[in-house]
Amino acid sequence: MPKAIKHFIEQSWLLIIASFFFGLLIAVTNAAWAPRIEQNKIRKLNRLMASLLPKATEFELEAELEIKSAKGKKIKTKVYKALSEADECAGYCFNASGPGFADKIELVVAVDKDFQKIAGFDCLASNETPGFGDRIKLPPYRNQFAGAPAGILELIKTGDAGKIDSEIVAISGATVSSEAVIKIINNSVAQVKKQMREKGLIGDGK
Amino acid sequence: MASNSQATSRLYKETLLTGLWRENPVFRLLLGMCPTLAVTAAVKPALTMGLSVIFVLLCSNIVVSLMRKLLKPHLRILMFTLTISTFVTIADLFLKAFVPRMSETLGPYVPLIIVNCIIICRAEACASKNTLAVSVIDALGMGAGFTLALCVLAGIREILSTGAIWEVKVLPIGFVPWAAMSMPVGAFITLGLLLGLVNLASKKKT
Repeated sequence: MPKAIKHFIEQSWLLIIASFFFGLLIAVTNAAWAPRIEQNKIRKLNRLMASLLPKATEFELEAELEIKSAKGKKIKTKVYKALSEADECAGYCFNASGPGFADKIELVVAVDKDFQKIAGFDCLASNETPGFGDRIKLPPYRNQFAGAPAGILELIKTGDAGKIDSEIVAISGATVSSEAVIKIINNSVAQVKKQMREKGLIGDGK
Repeated sequence: MASNSQATSRLYKETLLTGLWRENPVFRLLLGMCPTLAVTAAVKPALTMGLSVIFVLLCSNIVVSLMRKLLKPHLRILMFTLTISTFVTIADLFLKAFVPRMSETLGPYVPLIIVNCIIICRAEACASKNTLAVSVIDALGMGAGFTLALCVLAGIREILSTGAIWEVKVLPIGFVPWAAMSMPVGAFITLGLLLGLVNLASKKKT
C-alpha cells in the first residue's frame, strides 16, 4: 500500500501543487475584481431602467419577491422603485423571465407607479433566432408596450402596431417569441402587483 | 540549441515569422476556427479576442516551458489544460471587470478559449520542448498571426455588412449593407475566399 501511495505522489505531485497554486491565483484575481464586476452589473441594470423610465433619476431596491412562472416554477424578482428628481415615485422596474423560442428570455419590465400601465421592457438576456425572434429587442415591437395597459396584453397577428392598446402585433415569422414576451409580462406584472399590494407598498388603486 | 548569438537571433526571427505567416494558425493550420467564425462580425470584438488569446498563449507557454522538464508524459495534457483554463478565467474576469460591454458581445467565446486548439497545440508542439525565450517568441508570433487573421476577416465583414470599420463610416451613404456578411454565412464565405487567396499567394512563391 505505501508503495502505491509513493507511486501516486511521484506521478502527481506537480499536478497537485499546480492545482493549488492556480486555484489560489484565480481566487486572488476574483477577490480583487468581483466588486467591480458586481458594480458593472448594477450599472447596466440602472442604465436599462433609466432608458425605460426617462423621468427617473434614482433607483432603490423596494422589495425582493418570488413569483411563479406560467408553469409553476418559482422565479426570484427584485422590484426597484424609480424616483424622479423631485423625489416622487416615477414607476417601478422588476426583472422577469420565462421560456422563449430557443432559450429562456430574461426581461426588465417597467410599469407606472400604480401598476396600471406598462412603461416598457428591455431584454437582459435572450437567445432567439437572429433576424426573426431577436427582433423582440427592437423598437418596432418594443414601442407597442410603452403605455399599454398592464396585465391584459394579447397578441394579434395583424393590426396597427402604432396604436397603443392592449393588442400587441406579433413579429411576422416569430409568433412564438412575440407571445413569449407577452406571457412573461402579463404573468409577472399581475403577480408583482398583487404581492406589492399585499405588502402595502403600493396603493389600493383601481 | 544555437551555437552562437547569430544563429540564436535567426532562430527567434524564424519562430516569429512562422507564427505570423508560414504557419499562420488560421490561414495555414486552420486551427481555432470556432472563434474565427464567431467573433469576426466586427473589428472591435475580433481584436479583443485576439488580445485575449495572445495573453493566454503567452502565459501558458511561459508556464509550460518552465515546467517542461517536470512533466510526466501521460499527465501533460491535463497540466496544459489546467494552465490554460487558469489564464482564460483570469482574462474572462478582466474583461468582465474592465470592458463589460465587450465581454457581453463576446459572450461564451472567451471561456471557450480554454478549448482553443491553437493554445494547446503551441503548448504541446513548442513550449513543452523549447527554452523559455523560444516559447515566448512563439507565443507572440502565433498570437499575432491569429489576431491579424481575425482582424482581416472582421474588417472585410464589418465594411460589407455595415459600411463602417471600427464603427466609423468609411463607405459612401449610397452603399447598401450586405446583411448576410454579419451572419454566420458571411463568416464562412469570407474565410473560404481568404483561404483560397492565401493558397494562391503561397503557390506562386514556390
